[in-house]
Amino acid sequence: MSGGWERLRGSRSRTTHDSSFHTPAPSRTVTLGRVQPQAPGHRTIYCNDREANLPVRFKGNSISTTKYNFLTFLPKGLFEQFRRVANCYFLLISILSMTPISPVNPVTNVVPLSLVLLVSLIKEAFEDWVSVIHGCIGLQALPFDSSFAIKRFQNDMVINNTLIDVLQNEKWVALPWKKLQVGDIIRVKQDAFFPADLLFLASTNADGVCYIETANLDGETNLKIRKALERTWDYLTPDKATEFKGEIQCEQPNNSLYTFTGNLIFQKQTLPLSPNQILLRGCSLRNTEYIVGAVIFTGHETKVMMNSMNVPSKRSTLERKLDKLILALFATLFIMCLIGAIGSGIFINRKYYYLSLDKAVATEFNPSNRFAVAALTLFTLITLYSTIIPISLYVSIEMIKFIQSTQFINKDLHMYHAETNTPALARTSNLNEELGQVEYIFSDKTGTLTRNLMEFFKCSIGGEVYGSGVTEIELGGAQRNGIKVQEVRKSSTAIHEKGFNFDDHRLMRGAWRNEPNFDTCKDRAFVLSIFIRNYLLKTVLLVLVAGTLIIMEFFRCLAICHTVLPEGDESPEKITYQAASPDEAALVTAAKNFGFFFYRRTPTMIHVRESHVEKMGKIQDVAYEILNVLEFNSTRKRQSVVCRYPNGRLVLYCKGADTVIYERLAGGNDDLKKVTRAHLEQFGSAGLRTLCLAYRDLSPDTYESWNEKFIQAKSSLRDREKKLDEVAELVERDLILIGSTAIEDKLQEGVPACIETLFRAGIKVWVLTGDKMETAINIAYACNLINNDMKQFIISSETDAIREVENRGDQVEIARFIKEEVKKELKKCLEEAQHYLRTVSGPKLALVIDGKCLMYALDPTLRVMLLNLSLNCHSVVCCRVSPLQKAQVTSLVKKGARKITLSIGDGANDVSMIQAAHIGVGISGLEGMQAVMASDFAIAQFRFLTDLLLVHGRWSYLRICKVITYFFYKNLTFTLTQFWFTFQTGFSGQRFYDDWFQSLYNVIFTALPVIIVGLFDKDVSASLSKKYPELYKEGIRNVFFKWRVVITWAWSSVYQSLVFYHFVTTSSASGKNSSGKIFGLWDVSTMAFTCVVITVNLRLLMMCNSITRWHYISVGGSILAWFLFIFVYSVLRENVFFVIFVLMSTIYFYLSVLLVPIVALLGDFIYQGIQRCFFPYDYQIIQEIHRHEPDDNTRAGLLDVGSQLTPQEERSYAISQLPRELSKHTGFAFDSPGYESFFAAQLGVYAPQKAWDVARRASMKSKPKTPKRN
Amino acid sequence: MEAVGQAILVLPEGIQSDPNCSGYLPDCFIAVLQSKPDSKFTQQELPACKPILTPKWVVSAFMIIAIVFIPIGIACLLGSRDVVEVVERYETKCIPAANINNKVQYIQNSDANKNCTIQMKIPKRMKKPIYVYYQLDNFYQNHRRYVKSRSDKQLKSSKNENDTSSCKPENLATGGGAIVPCGLIAWSLFNDTYSFSLQKNNQSLAVNKKGIAWKSDKQKRFGKDVYPKNFQGGGLKGGGDLNVSVPLSEQEDLMVWMRTAALPTFRKLYGKIEVDLEANETINVTLQNNYNTYSFNGKKKLVLSTTSWIGGRNDFLGIAYLTVGMICLALAIGFTVVYFVKPRRLGDPTFLSWNRGPGSH
Repeated sequence: MSGGWERLRGSRSRTTHDSSFHTPAPSRTVTLGRVQPQAPGHRTIYCNDREANLPVRFKGNSISTTKYNFLTFLPKGLFEQFRRVANCYFLLISILSMTPISPVNPVTNVVPLSLVLLVSLIKEAFEDWVSVIHGCIGLQALPFDSSFAIKRFQNDMVINNTLIDVLQNEKWVALPWKKLQVGDIIRVKQDAFFPADLLFLASTNADGVCYIETANLDGETNLKIRKALERTWDYLTPDKATEFKGEIQCEQPNNSLYTFTGNLIFQKQTLPLSPNQILLRGCSLRNTEYIVGAVIFTGHETKVMMNSMNVPSKRSTLERKLDKLILALFATLFIMCLIGAIGSGIFINRKYYYLSLDKAVATEFNPSNRFAVAALTLFTLITLYSTIIPISLYVSIEMIKFIQSTQFINKDLHMYHAETNTPALARTSNLNEELGQVEYIFSDKTGTLTRNLMEFFKCSIGGEVYGSGVTEIELGGAQRNGIKVQEVRKSSTAIHEKGFNFDDHRLMRGAWRNEPNFDTCKDRAFVLSIFIRNYLLKTVLLVLVAGTLIIMEFFRCLAICHTVLPEGDESPEKITYQAASPDEAALVTAAKNFGFFFYRRTPTMIHVRESHVEKMGKIQDVAYEILNVLEFNSTRKRQSVVCRYPNGRLVLYCKGADTVIYERLAGGNDDLKKVTRAHLEQFGSAGLRTLCLAYRDLSPDTYESWNEKFIQAKSSLRDREKKLDEVAELVERDLILIGSTAIEDKLQEGVPACIETLFRAGIKVWVLTGDKMETAINIAYACNLINNDMKQFIISSETDAIREVENRGDQVEIARFIKEEVKKELKKCLEEAQHYLRTVSGPKLALVIDGKCLMYALDPTLRVMLLNLSLNCHSVVCCRVSPLQKAQVTSLVKKGARKITLSIGDGANDVSMIQAAHIGVGISGLEGMQAVMASDFAIAQFRFLTDLLLVHGRWSYLRICKVITYFFYKNLTFTLTQFWFTFQTGFSGQRFYDDWFQSLYNVIFTALPVIIVGLFDKDVSASLSKKYPELYKEGIRNVFFKWRVVITWAWSSVYQSLVFYHFVTTSSASGKNSSGKIFGLWDVSTMAFTCVVITVNLRLLMMCNSITRWHYISVGGSILAWFLFIFVYSVLRENVFFVIFVLMSTIYFYLSVLLVPIVALLGDFIYQGIQRCFFPYDYQIIQEIHRHEPDDNTRAGLLDVGSQLTPQEERSYAISQLPRELSKHTGFAFDSPGYESFFAAQLGVYAPQKAWDVARRASMKSKPKTPKRN
Repeated sequence: MEAVGQAILVLPEGIQSDPNCSGYLPDCFIAVLQSKPDSKFTQQELPACKPILTPKWVVSAFMIIAIVFIPIGIACLLGSRDVVEVVERYETKCIPAANINNKVQYIQNSDANKNCTIQMKIPKRMKKPIYVYYQLDNFYQNHRRYVKSRSDKQLKSSKNENDTSSCKPENLATGGGAIVPCGLIAWSLFNDTYSFSLQKNNQSLAVNKKGIAWKSDKQKRFGKDVYPKNFQGGGLKGGGDLNVSVPLSEQEDLMVWMRTAALPTFRKLYGKIEVDLEANETINVTLQNNYNTYSFNGKKKLVLSTTSWIGGRNDFLGIAYLTVGMICLALAIGFTVVYFVKPRRLGDPTFLSWNRGPGSH
């Protein structure tokens, strides 16, 4: 039996045969965060009866994760491509150019379009065929590299052909997965993956449970328990299972991973089914020999496959601005065509007899109908000037961004976190440049700013504080107060392991047996004062609880009252604890270190190796019988275990929030309560997370009578959970307080430094957390978000007035009152803020607001005020906010202030916020993968934001701006030369350039260099980018892609095109060599085109900040390509026949090639010179400052800058400012609202509808058996 | 099963759950980055030169341009000035006084006497060869309808004689046969003729009409086996006629005409006079004023020009070079002066926006 509890090692090899069957079907648009509305109706499945299921035609179990297959690739891919306006436009132009009204050969437009489509399709195929693994559910980021990439198609094959045991003819027959059908009874062995969504029928474990690992779904590595219905436990062997003829009625396939509704109609009974009986594809079986299940959903209908991992499709702000630019180009195009069309209408005349414009001439040239001529010429000119729309722009940008994200961001060693082996991951390449313009960062606290690495740090037992550690927050506070805090010498007793950072010689290594010994522990004046006050009583108290007994109760409570699973060797060194939250693991680890080593759990027993009994060193294994587990949920805020000691003693151990525990304490012992509460507050203000522990002895009679009720409640079919809660209330009373624990939630590495840097970069950081105000403020101080130089506005619902109204209980009244209060507060703060803003050197402002007030402040009537206030604030802390509110705040700034926002978070409760912001960043850390899967970028540590924004984002922004403006410039210049020519051709729409020149201009002669710039241009090095974060402000102000910039480029285009056209045409009028021969049209245009190609390519070099050899190669290559092309082409084609040889035989050619590009570039050069000398950009000054330094290729040196925490700022000042006597901040960290409603729903408990419920459904994770703390 | 084995590599199973066996991936990852030659690429540390446009650079760039351009400009200008060019506009002179009000009718009347004599004075000594050009004005040889109205295939080879679809409406003769050369361009062939004589002794000056077309046209574009056919056979004559017995590869006038001009004002080479002309000599030009430019008020000019190394008379390049050179010189000086008057120290941090603007910290 107990063997089933052990998790076998070597899990790597066994999970691997199936690496990406959960790869999403990218064609679906559902994302994990959003739950699809359910299809109406339900499906009925006849188990073990293929014939009965036949009429319904359920989908097969084979899957295909490729976006395309060989047949659909072309039509589907082309369809995707023509959803782009630019491509559609060019298709239209291509069709137009087939008609006789076109001045140009169809190749002019067809060739660039086909090339662009070809490149796009190749890219699509490449992405699809060589898929990126990071698309897979639950898989960590991997570098994009061909060696890591797998072929989706191949992979699908492997998965579809994996074998599974299916019940056929009373035997288990191994069939490939793809043959599996709905209703089949199958057997899944230990460590195997479930091939489809299954109804769990029976397991080899006696009590019908099995353990599953859901890492592929949500990244959580702890095991989950599933329990089959009792009625089906027997159907384990083939002969028994054959008899199983149930009928399942259940919901239609949907993508909600954590819900399931259905009934099993079996032996004329209807048994309700819950997620507890469902085994999802993608999970694997653990610690169970095998299970038998019935297939419910197959293939693409499985929940995991319904959860498309499509990266949320966000478009960057820059791209939306680009659309405007394209629109402007369309407008320009139209104006140009209109001018030309009007001109042609006026020009056309029979007097030009050589044009043979007789009566019968085609309408487009018929002078009798000038209007028709103009109208048709309009279309003619549209095809002629179509080059003004940069057709290859989108595909170039896409390629650039693709490489930027897969090669630069994903592979940046500076964003690679070695400890967790996590590189950064760009899940979308759409938003690279958006990273360079972020102005507001919304950050989650837990797991993002803090490590979510809980360490048992202190405790209070029986009114005494243990634990000599000093938190960062206390340290900072002490330093601010001028107290020198000596580095606490680690005593020999100190043990530091994961989850345990505690040292107190009174408790360690069994020393607690000698406690209480008050003489040794008066180390804290604070405690001392209370201690002196309560000395007498306390002594009495301690005598009452019989000395060390209370300490033992404390440790036992830690060792028994939990839902942790031990894993691995049953030795203290090797054991690992599987817990849903790190807090729980920390508590059990603490118990272990105190000598209460919890090493084995069976469904009914908890085995603890206690080393306390009587003498030191003596070890005794004690097995506690677990009689009842009263689970944690958010309404209860506590968790209890009723256990029986081997000696028959019945005890209820309870741990939970101080508020709920205190309500249920037995009378008396007021001083212990008071002291403990003081300790709780002390811990809370030190940023520690607290839990209260209590116990109660039960007499057998009491227990028996209660247990009856419990069993009744447990077996009740309706409102079971509610009844269970009610029953729990009956026994969870008259508790005796033991003490409290304090767990440190460590800050992530380098967070304060990172925030400091972000501040300097002009980015405002808002913290949105579910934590209490005090905790949030503490963390804000610790992170440098708030310091004492700041003027703080605190809008809290925890005021006397509000509380008073709340106590009266009238909901309408409460709402009205709070709203009034909030309005008053906001108004006051806003006025004050404006006052400070008017003064020149006023303090920076900070706003702290709690969720309840925020709810009212987000009301449409107050929203503007809130926005005004918060935008003026340097930093904003929102505490006790729900996931929905997080999203609301994000969109408030995004939509209300039209600023670019970034949300960063790690947990499921951040999903809505991550999706709401312009950019979502997920922390790919410890908390699971939901945030990452909803995000656009995933990084391992908060501090990597510096690199992501200041280096990659900024560069990307600069590069994309350059690419766009350059594309704009080169196409406009080219088209304008054509436009000027139109004036001298009688507005006939004669092309200036040969068709092929025009068609290859965009795709060959000027295509590559700009991509090189998009990849390699660097204004300042990465280290300087971080050294001068202020450079980032250029991106926030959008300095490089304003209309002013575009207009400057446009002028440059006009100037250059005039130079090209007029210089070349004017100078070519007379005989051009000593033999006096004259040039024709094509000689002149080839000359002009040569100048255009050379100039446009050289112009690119002029705007480069750094020029690598790739620049030379691409620029030189492009010019060379033109010459190679024209040499070959002019031999082949009639109209440009030998023009280049004719040209090159004249000295005029060389004189012009020297003159025209230089004259054309002179204007830009003068502009650049003046701009740089007199109106320099910031980056240019930085370049100058560091111009003599070699480019530091050792960015590694900067790696450790972030690793030191800067001296902590003051924070207890802020705490003292808080209404302490009103808000008993005790550091309790159980009640993150996001989880609250989740658990309520999970357990079917009635919970009043909360505002955040909508968001919750999408974002919460399943923790069926274990409480989750935030 | 090998495929399965490959897939094993892929699953980062141990990443989170098992820090102890995180062995292969980070090593791999870093190894990939460090061993591969493109790690400089992925880390964006490719060696690069970083040009900074310092005032020194600006000034020296201007100086270099000035130093290079001014001499070239002077040379071009001198080269251009060496050329002697005489231009005589004749389209109004050559209309008899009686026909001054019905120029178009006159020119279209094939029976009218189109002979006309004009004088040209040679201002400076002109060394042979002297090129004779005609210059037309307001003639849109670059009109879309005009440009495409030709068949290069037909011109090239007799095999493609019937390839005339692009030539409409001048593609088929009234009889039905293909017109060679077809199209509006050929149809409107310029047909004024000039003959020159010296006034002082009435010695005629031979005009060499050979070698006026580009060699490539003559050798490759106009076929040796293509003879004019049905040319100007239609009701309306657009321009000159062609000698049916001469292959197109010898019809240099046609070649010159069919190398359509880029602009509505253009010159075309008519021939060469291979005699030196002395200064102040007067030349009598007897011309056949056949070509109709009166319909569209086009000017006709006769141009005699020598050439130099730079070609014909065209000051534009020289002036452009010189102007640009001068501007650069001025800019160089200007920049230097301004820079001394109001310098900005290189890398002066006070110019940084956050050190400058109010409200910054």
